[in-house]
Amino acid sequence: MSMEIATELSDQIARYLDLAAAEAKLTAVNMANVDTPGYRAVGMDFEAEMRGAINDAEQGRAPRKVRVTEVDGLVARPDGNNVSIDRESLNLAEAQLKFRTGVALLRQEYQRVMDAIHADK
Amino acid sequence: MNLFGMMETSGTAMEAERMRAEVVAANMANAETTRTADGGPYRRQEVVFAANQGDPNFLDSMTAAGGAASGFAALPIPALAGGSAVAPGVHISAVVEDPSPPLKRYDPGHPDAGPDGYVSYPDINPLTEMVDLMGATRAYGLNGAAVQAEKGMITSALEIAKS
Repeated sequence: MSMEIATELSDQIARYLDLAAAEAKLTAVNMANVDTPGYRAVGMDFEAEMRGAINDAEQGRAPRKVRVTEVDGLVARPDGNNVSIDRESLNLAEAQLKFRTGVALLRQEYQRVMDAIHADK
Repeated sequence: MNLFGMMETSGTAMEAERMRAEVVAANMANAETTRTADGGPYRRQEVVFAANQGDPNFLDSMTAAGGAASGFAALPIPALAGGSAVAPGVHISAVVEDPSPPLKRYDPGHPDAGPDGYVSYPDINPLTEMVDLMGATRAYGLNGAAVQAEKGMITSALEIAKS
């Protein structure tokens, strides 16, 4: 078996990091518009995106764009804005943790390759 | 996907909220102002927030669910549907004057009193202003917390390179 620096797992983790960053970005946009009249909160389905990304990688397809949707089930204020600060704060914390998890996994994966390189020492 | 773009987004919000707080401060400072450059008493100002048109780099990685093949026209919000190079976020589209009539107070000795002895004062309610100020402070803090979180993400991304 040939050893590659960029493994299948590291590619998947990279996509995971991309998606976590996209989630954080959408949350930042929602938070920025917390006082904009008529603004509707947007979001994405992280699990579905990740499943799709793994599927695409297996089929050898290029990564797709993230699907952005309006969030259902939020209560709109009288000015038409439906951003919930609690929901966004939780989402941001979650995206941040996902990102850190991805970074930790990626480091570990690269460390594995490093260990293989230095195996003779 | 650029991690720094997130900070820019939160930055636009902090800027807009600070502006809102400044307008509130100006309203409270001028609660008793009977003379302005335009003549008449000071008029209460109010900011209008509007979502930014999205930046194309952001759009490159995102698409609307069930969106039209032509691009992003079907996106639910203008912040993601536009084509200009601004960070998705928020901006102040206008500062508008409150059209409500000034308050009349009887004070014939006042230099700005009308022939009937009444002086026009701005219709500024400190309660409304304080509530607005609280809202601005809270939203400012929220976006400040978002910047902190984004900084943490960028810092942790740098750890990949450390061995």
